[in-house]
Amino acid sequence: MHALVMLTRANIRSFVRDRTALFWTLAFPVIFILLFGAIFSGGGDTTYNVGWVDQDGTAASAGLRQAFGQVPLLHLEDGTLQASRQAMQKGALNGIIVVPAGLGASVAAASGGPGSPGAAGPSSAATLEVYTDPSQQTASTTIRQVASQVVASLNVTLTGRSPALGVTDRTLQTQDLTSAAYLVPGILGMALMQLGVFGAVPLVAQREKLILKRLGATPLPRWTLVGSNVLLRLLIGLVQAVLIVGIGVAVFGVQVLGSLWVMAALVVLGALSFISIGYVVAAFARTEEAANGIVQVIQFPMMFLSGVFFPLEIMPSVLRPIATLLPLTYLGDALRQVMVSGSAFAPLPVDVAVLAGWFLVCLTVSARFFRWE
Amino acid sequence: MAISPSGQDGAATPATGDGAVIEVARLRKRYGDVQAVDSISFEVHRGEIFGLLGPNGAGKTTTVEILEGLRSPDEGTVRVLGIDAAHHADRIKERVGVQLQTAALYPFLTVVEVLDLFRSFYARSRPTAWLLEAVDLGERRHAQTRQLSGGQRQRLSVALALVNEPELVFLDEPTTGMDPQARRSLWDLVLRLREGGTSVLLTTHYMEEAEQLCDRVAIMDHGRVLESGTVEALVTRRFHERAVFFDTLPGLSVPELEQLPRVERAMLEDGVTVLYTGDVSATIGALLGRAEQLGLEPRNLGIRRATLEDVFLDLTGRALRE
Repeated sequence: MHALVMLTRANIRSFVRDRTALFWTLAFPVIFILLFGAIFSGGGDTTYNVGWVDQDGTAASAGLRQAFGQVPLLHLEDGTLQASRQAMQKGALNGIIVVPAGLGASVAAASGGPGSPGAAGPSSAATLEVYTDPSQQTASTTIRQVASQVVASLNVTLTGRSPALGVTDRTLQTQDLTSAAYLVPGILGMALMQLGVFGAVPLVAQREKLILKRLGATPLPRWTLVGSNVLLRLLIGLVQAVLIVGIGVAVFGVQVLGSLWVMAALVVLGALSFISIGYVVAAFARTEEAANGIVQVIQFPMMFLSGVFFPLEIMPSVLRPIATLLPLTYLGDALRQVMVSGSAFAPLPVDVAVLAGWFLVCLTVSARFFRWE
Repeated sequence: MAISPSGQDGAATPATGDGAVIEVARLRKRYGDVQAVDSISFEVHRGEIFGLLGPNGAGKTTTVEILEGLRSPDEGTVRVLGIDAAHHADRIKERVGVQLQTAALYPFLTVVEVLDLFRSFYARSRPTAWLLEAVDLGERRHAQTRQLSGGQRQRLSVALALVNEPELVFLDEPTTGMDPQARRSLWDLVLRLREGGTSVLLTTHYMEEAEQLCDRVAIMDHGRVLESGTVEALVTRRFHERAVFFDTLPGLSVPELEQLPRVERAMLEDGVTVLYTGDVSATIGALLGRAEQLGLEPRNLGIRRATLEDVFLDLTGRALRE
């Protein structure tokens, strides 16, 4: 037991003093999540430049402009239709809202007799023209939604009637996770994958430098040696989890819904299955360079085919069978379900079973083929 | 190393096993097509320094690693401290100390940290301060091992072999990479260990080291023990003569040289001719006469006693340091 403590302490010291290892295992995932979080969640406090073309020039159109001007998402720029279209083509504007001539008159007609029976169905409704660019998906959706919301609420004011049907916004995170909420569990899974699989490299290096052989000449039991290596990786895994989830919560406002204990258990299980994959790599790689190469070959496809960055539904169907084999798919899925109640790729017990299965298979293979020198 | 005919060689006689810390009998180990160790037998007595000599690839390291419990033998029996090394290696590991030829250490740990780490592996251990003093690393105690020089690293690996106060220490080419001063102080340490009752098995290809330290040696080549015994016995068994050496003269063939008076053997090695002779002046006189007839002059002519190097050369036809 004393030896296990001493060896683990030695491993931790070695790890902390090796700045390169420290950077790749701790700073890298942090940089990653900050970067990807910023890129994918984008929307946060963006404003869209919208051209405002008033062809009506009545009090009503001025009122409309005021209403739109209050929407924080939009920045209005007055101009003629032609000028605005040119600006939009150059990319200076994300969209254009046109108030056609005669709008004021129609509005006046519609609201002429509030509460009077004739006002129930205005024969010619005033119409705003909204130009957007379908290639800018987020911008065009946002601008069109904002426009219809503003118009809808104006309709209520103008007609003096409360709508028969309304929609109240409530959040139920299922399909439409914010990008960050989707990313954080994925990136945590990815970090654990890298941590575990990469474990092969120092292991092979220790074998190449005969450190394992030298330890084998002492009475130190091998399980203690393996145990302390695994313990170190698990500790790093938990530190990574705290860092990544912490950044998700603090910077991107991700709400952690599930139990922290269940999450910790998943982190440990996930780390164990990837560590065991690392041992399999170490069992077959003879040199540190070879181990490094194999690790890259495993890590990169897994990173992009396991739904870490985007849901598997939008992956080409050819690639999906591959995704269903990869352990990272299930770790990401499990973490996502527990952490942010994201939609499930597979039921949680299936995720756990697949990860445990990978662990057991790799454990068996590495126990059979691992060489100490 | 006197060459005078001295006592009988004691090593050739099979020892009883009493007082033996290592007993190896008909040990064989094969790697693929290579018979690394080919039926060797020898014993190491308690309290002695025993040297395994031989060129790289002779099978020294394989033999030592089997004794250390790191490899299992194909055939033969190996007993270390009376324990069967093939089946109870774990019991041996607690009581022996091991220094591996090329083992690196945890590069980011300090000298003291590595020593304390290894101390935790054993039921009993020597104080860290004793170990630092023994290998003279006190001043570097807080240096990370990656910052140590090659010789310092080597000394640390010797210290690690002494951590558990072992009854038997294996030193695999312990002075490789050391400067002469460090080598001397390691030799002193090894001699002090023997005084304290520790048995030592060391492998080396430095003749001087074997001659300075070893009570007995075994010479290995191609997986076999060619000969074993005290250094003196090995030398005197073969060479009652002294060696006359000079830069090889192209005109003088080995058969012709062996015709010179009192020459028992002539050898060519690396551009140097060596004549083993029972009468140095007769041989040199005849040599110079013959050379003059041919219009040649022997350069770098010298005389010395025979050494282990000569024994090895005689046994294998090769120099040991290749």
